[in-house]
Amino acid sequence: MKTEIVHKIMILGLQISLYTLIPLLAVATENSACLECHGDAAAVGESLVIEALSFDNTAHGELGCHICHASISDGHPDDGLTPSRTSCVECHDPISQEYAASLHAGKASCSDCHTPHRALGPTAVSGHDMNRQCLTCHDHADMLDKHGEWLPQADLHVSMLPCITCHSSSDQYVISLYIIKRHGNMLSGGYELASFDELSVQSNGRPIEQLVDRNADGYVSLAELRMFNLDPENKQLRLQGMITPEGVSHNFRTQDDRWDCSFCHASGPAARQVSFLSLAEPDGSYKRVPVEKGAVLDALYGTPDFYMVGSTRSTALNYVGLVILAGGLVMPIGHGTLRILTRKNRTKEEE
Amino acid sequence: MSKIKIYLQPTPIRIWHWLNAFGIITLCITGVQIRFPDHLHLFASYKSAILLHNVAGLVVAFSFSLWFIYYAVVSRTLLKTYMPSRDDLEHGLARQAKFYLLTYFLGWKNPHHATPDNKFNPMQKSAYLAIMFILVPLVSLSGLLLTNVSPMRDLVLMIGGLKILVAIHFLLACCLCAFLFTHVYLATLGKTPLEHIKPMWTGWEEEDSTEQPHHVTGSSRLPSVAAMPRTGMTTRRRP
Ligand code: HEC
Ligand code: HEC
Ligand code: HEC
Ligand code: HEC
Ligand code: HEC
Ligand code: HEC
Ligand code: HEM
Repeated sequence: MKTEIVHKIMILGLQISLYTLIPLLAVATENSACLECHGDAAAVGESLVIEALSFDNTAHGELGCHICHASISDGHPDDGLTPSRTSCVECHDPISQEYAASLHAGKASCSDCHTPHRALGPTAVSGHDMNRQCLTCHDHADMLDKHGEWLPQADLHVSMLPCITCHSSSDQYVISLYIIKRHGNMLSGGYELASFDELSVQSNGRPIEQLVDRNADGYVSLAELRMFNLDPENKQLRLQGMITPEGVSHNFRTQDDRWDCSFCHASGPAARQVSFLSLAEPDGSYKRVPVEKGAVLDALYGTPDFYMVGSTRSTALNYVGLVILAGGLVMPIGHGTLRILTRKNRTKEEE
Repeated sequence: MSKIKIYLQPTPIRIWHWLNAFGIITLCITGVQIRFPDHLHLFASYKSAILLHNVAGLVVAFSFSLWFIYYAVVSRTLLKTYMPSRDDLEHGLARQAKFYLLTYFLGWKNPHHATPDNKFNPMQKSAYLAIMFILVPLVSLSGLLLTNVSPMRDLVLMIGGLKILVAIHFLLACCLCAFLFTHVYLATLGKTPLEHIKPMWTGWEEEDSTEQPHHVTGSSRLPSVAAMPRTGMTTRRRP
């Protein structure tokens, strides 16, 4: 898919360079020329503002404004012309075709769910933000009702899963751990995704991933998770897990096997072993730090508040349970054997 | 030898007991499928196992309140029936353990004899106390939380999180299941395997009229537990 995209871009780039001949390195300065006006609400009005912070770090940011608004002239904005917009299909052919063939095609356009100036891949978007894309049209309460008709604890599922985990397909699903922060008191809870600023305050100026990744090796071990969970400094923080897709097909519909709970609620697929800590960035996107394999399966310390029945069970606890059950069999088996061996003693007494 | 009958198990207790027994057996089996879906597929789908588990949990919780209301409000014998006395703890437990582990095999009689006033031997009392006052309530409460995670999240967090709650629920359930094995086995330890089980079903215990007639009168005073071994001994010497 990527090579196709690159191919298209090369052709487009060739056309564009006929007009501009701007070397690729100049993209940034070119962006900032446009953003001098379009980064300032006072100059162009709220509706035409492009958030430079969130645009620059995206794949589209590297392309530059011109590639999509190719017809823009030097006279802009006084030329009275509406700049062109390259449509998504030019560069995202496979996804666009897949979407066009889906049941959802007539219901929403690419821009209804995506902002071209803030295009992020699924691993750079929090599960919460993914759902916000859907909930603008699909009313939250309505969704709880509809899914509650067949899904046990629909409220839990709908808040702990991105809609697309059930309504699109992906080669792989992983567990994303988000840091959430308590805003209310003990009883009223009020946990919300912790923002970059909140986490910065919490980490005292250190990079925020060091809240968890204490030795800053770009990897979160089980021991580090334990320290994070037990640290009294972090009393207001906890880790929330979601199952997120690594790639997103655009055939939005109800995937047949998502009726079957054991698509998620069974151990085995490597997905339940692989998890990432997902942290807010200043621009509102998310970056990931890999977590030790199987850490979320740890009985007590890995993720005390993330548990998926059937799939994140702890093996250690299973053995403890087995020992307890074996204890219950001591009488039937041990006593029962002696009982059979000594049955003569009792029949004699009865005579 | 003529037989007489004692009314040992009142109807509400029998209803509770069998609702409870079948409820807990259902919970154990569905529970295994819910925890190990990749190993057990007894029920058509994971969802049906969960629904059945939830319903059985409600049945057990409901029958538990029947048990509690009967003993605490109707007959007012909750503590008397289930609380081991000082003497039970000091001598009774050892005496009963000695019976189960030694003298039973020698063919001696049970040192405890069940009467409506004093149904349980000291080991039964202690075990049932733990089961009915600690295990069943805790399993039910943790189950209730687990079926309402979202609305009761704050409570779950106070306990330490979902995973801790699940660990509690799972380990206590294992204890109940272990109790079930032992309990059912011990229930077959009468003269015939069904001797103790029948009264739990019909309410009536049959016994030889020559045996300790003073028990049948159902004296109003608390039966002296100290008397038990002696009655046991007389029984043994009887033939
Ligand atoms: C001098 C300030 C200024 C600069 C620099 C500027 N724009 Fe604009 N732009 C405007 C204003 C004002 C409008 C609104 C014009 C209108 O409504 O007629 C506008 C409108 C637009 C629109 C159309 C919005 C719509 O209504 O659909 C696009 C697209 C656009 N600009 C892109 C760009 C790009 C790309 C650049 C950089 C090459 C750029 N602009 C540079 C001020 C500016
Ligand atoms: C990947 C292609 C792409 C790039 C790169 C891009 N735009 Fe756009 N832009 C679009 C599309 C598509 C629309 C129409 C959005 C819609 O229909 O809602 C748009 C709309 C706009 C608008 C109208 C306001 C709005 O948000 O709808 C402005 C202003 C604008 N772009 C400016 C810019 C500037 C400035 C840059 C560079 C900093 C830029 N664009 C880069 C595709 C792009
Ligand atoms: C000029 C070509 C071009 C156009 C037009 C374009 N894109 Fe892109 N887009 C790209 C490139 C290149 C990437 C980065 C490729 C990649 O990483 O897969 C990208 C990446 C993305 C991503 C993030 C994917 C990721 O994994 O990081 C999204 C979402 C996206 N585009 C949506 C859109 C939407 C919606 C439109 C239409 C409004 C659009 N794009 C129009 C070229 C384009
Ligand atoms: C712009 C509005 C809009 C957005 C945004 C949107 N949808 Fe829809 N969607 C609709 C409409 C309209 C329908 C058809 C009416 C209905 O079934 O509610 C629909 C139908 C559906 C259906 C039922 C399709 C079928 O089988 O008939 C699913 C599933 C769905 N949407 C999933 C999603 C998901 C997942 C997202 C977020 C990634 C999303 N939608 C975002 C408008 C939207
Ligand atoms: C656990 C998996 C799962 C999750 C998470 C999920 N859905 Fe669904 N959804 C389903 C299934 C399965 C159906 C089919 C139910 C039916 O047809 O009765 C469905 C049906 C729907 C429908 C069609 C409802 C109708 O009958 O009109 C829409 C729209 C929808 N989902 C949107 C969403 C949105 C939006 C979200 C996120 C807030 C979401 N779903 C989250 C599994 C899920
Ligand atoms: C119903 C909502 C919806 C519509 C319509 C939609 N997308 Fe997406 N798309 C998503 C969601 C949700 C994601 C995953 C989160 C993210 O990357 O924003 C996604 C991801 C993507 C990605 C990254 C995929 C990957 O696996 O890396 C691309 C590229 C993309 N969309 C392009 C498009 C294009 C092009 C269109 C129009 C043909 C389109 N999308 C229409 C919801 C939508
Ligand atoms: C098939 C399963 C079961 C059988 C055959 C069985 C049998 C019996 C019998 C025969 C008694 C009479 C008293 C005794 O001898 O101890 C009894 C009492 C009792 N059983 Fe069970 N039982 C079963 C399951 C359970 C379960 C699952 C529990 C609880 C988790 C339980 C808890 C009790 C208690 C608390 C009593 C005392 C009741 C009273 O107040 O009279 N039983 N059971």
